[in-house]
Amino acid sequence: MSDIKIRSKNLNVYYGEKQALFDVNLDLNEKEVTALIGPSGCGKSTFIRCINRMNDVIDICKVTGNIEIDGIEINDKNLDVVSLRERVGMVFQKPNPFPKSIYDNISYGPKIHGKGESKDELDEIVESSLRKAALWEEVKDRLDEPGTGLSGGQQQRLCIARAISVNPEVILMDEPCSALDPIATAKIEELIDELKTAYTIVIVTHSMAQAVRVSQKTGFFHLGKLIEVGETEKIFKNPDNKMTQDYITGRFG
Amino acid sequence: MSEHTVKSYEDELRQLIDSVIKMGSLTESQMADSMDAIIKVDKDSIDKIIKSDDEINKFRSKIDTQIMTLLVKRAPMAIDLRETISSLKISQDLERIGDLSKSNAKKIKPLPQDLPDELLGNLKRLGDLVIKQLKEVLDSFVNKDFDKAKEVWEKDEQVDNLTYIAMESVIDFLSKDKKNLDFSTHLIFATKNLERAGDHITNIAENVCYLVKGEYLKGNRPKGRVIQE
Repeated sequence: MSDIKIRSKNLNVYYGEKQALFDVNLDLNEKEVTALIGPSGCGKSTFIRCINRMNDVIDICKVTGNIEIDGIEINDKNLDVVSLRERVGMVFQKPNPFPKSIYDNISYGPKIHGKGESKDELDEIVESSLRKAALWEEVKDRLDEPGTGLSGGQQQRLCIARAISVNPEVILMDEPCSALDPIATAKIEELIDELKTAYTIVIVTHSMAQAVRVSQKTGFFHLGKLIEVGETEKIFKNPDNKMTQDYITGRFG
Repeated sequence: MSEHTVKSYEDELRQLIDSVIKMGSLTESQMADSMDAIIKVDKDSIDKIIKSDDEINKFRSKIDTQIMTLLVKRAPMAIDLRETISSLKISQDLERIGDLSKSNAKKIKPLPQDLPDELLGNLKRLGDLVIKQLKEVLDSFVNKDFDKAKEVWEKDEQVDNLTYIAMESVIDFLSKDKKNLDFSTHLIFATKNLERAGDHITNIAENVCYLVKGEYLKGNRPKGRVIQE
C-alpha cells in the first residue's frame, strides 16, 4: 500500500455564489497515477487546481476545508505559494510553451527558483528534464529554436519537461492529451508511466480508455461531488455506484 | 437499467444478447431432440439432429463478429464489458454442448431397438436433468439472476450422481452378455457426453454469476460420485 501524498478533507470551493465542490474527501497515493473523470463542469479541474492553489488567481473563488500535502495544510495563508508551485507542477490541456527557445523554456523555472547557479548546472537540468520527458533525442540539436515551433505532441512534452525541471513532487495534468493525435497521446501515456516512479501524478481526462491505461486509482466526480473513488480496474469493471456505471458505460443524461 | 445515450450501442448490445438467447434455445431443443431419439432409438432423426448443429455453429460465428464489432466500436466498460465477455464465453460453451448432442445422435445408429427399460430409464433421468439445467441456466442469463445461476452450479452434483447410476447400469448390462459390448460402449460415451454437457452448463452458470456481480463464484463446486477415468 502506497503512502498518502495528498489528502483533501471536506473541501468546498465556491466561485462567488456558485458552489463548485461539495465536501470532497479524497486521498491521493504517493508515486501513483490518480485519474479524475466526470462530465464537464463536475469539478475535477477545480479540484486539481486546489492542489497548487491555482484558484488563488480567481478573485471570486473561495476555498474551505483542508488540503494537505505530506500532512501539511496548504491552504494556510502564510504558506509560500511560489514554493508550493515548485513542488506541485502543472500541465494544461493545450500545450503552452513560453515564446522563448526550447532551452529557455526549461531553464526558466530553475532560474527563478534559484536552482542551477552556473551555466553547466542549467545545461544539466535542461538535458535531464528533456530526457525524462522523452524529448531530448528529438530536440538536442535545436535547443535555441523557439519552443512554439515544435509539433503539438512535442510542445506538450516540452511543457512536461518544464514542469519536471524544478524537481516537483506532484504533477497535475489537466486533459494533457486532448489536443494531441493518437501517437503523441501514446508517447505522453508512456511518459506518465515512467514518471510515476518518481512523482505523484493526478490526471484529469475525458477519455475512459486513457484513465484505464494510465492510472492506478480513479475518482468519479459529478456536479461537484466525488461520487466514487477506487482501484481503476474495479471502477471500470465493476463500480459500486450506479451513477459511476451509468457514466462510464455512456448511459448518462 | 437506463439506456445508452448512443442508441445504436444499445441496439448492438441487445442484438448480441438476443443472439446468445437464440443460440441457447437452439442448443436446448437440439439436446432434447437428441435425448428423445436415443431413448426411442429413433434412427430417422439422426440426420436432422446432426444438421441442427450447423445452425448453432452459425450463431457462434455471428456472436464472435458481433463481439468484435462491439469491442472495436464501443470499448465497453463495466456491466457492458462483462455482458460482452460473458456472451463470448457462454457461446463457446453452448457450441460445445451442441457438439455433444450431435455426438450423442451419432451413437444411436448401432443401438438395437430392444434395449432394457431400466437402462434407458437411468439414461433418460440423467438427460432430463441436464436439459432442465440447461434451460434454467439460460433463464438465469436472460433474467441476470445470480441466485438461479448459483443453484444450477450447485445442482451439477446431482448430474454427477445420475451419471454414476446410468454408467453402472450400462456396465451391468454389458457384463451380462459379451455381445452387448459393441453398442454398450456407445451408451457409455453418450452418458459421459451428458455429464460433460453438465460441466459446460456449470461454466455458463459461473459466467452468469460474473456478469451479474462482477466476481466469480468462490470455492469448489459440490461434486457428486464420479466414475474413475
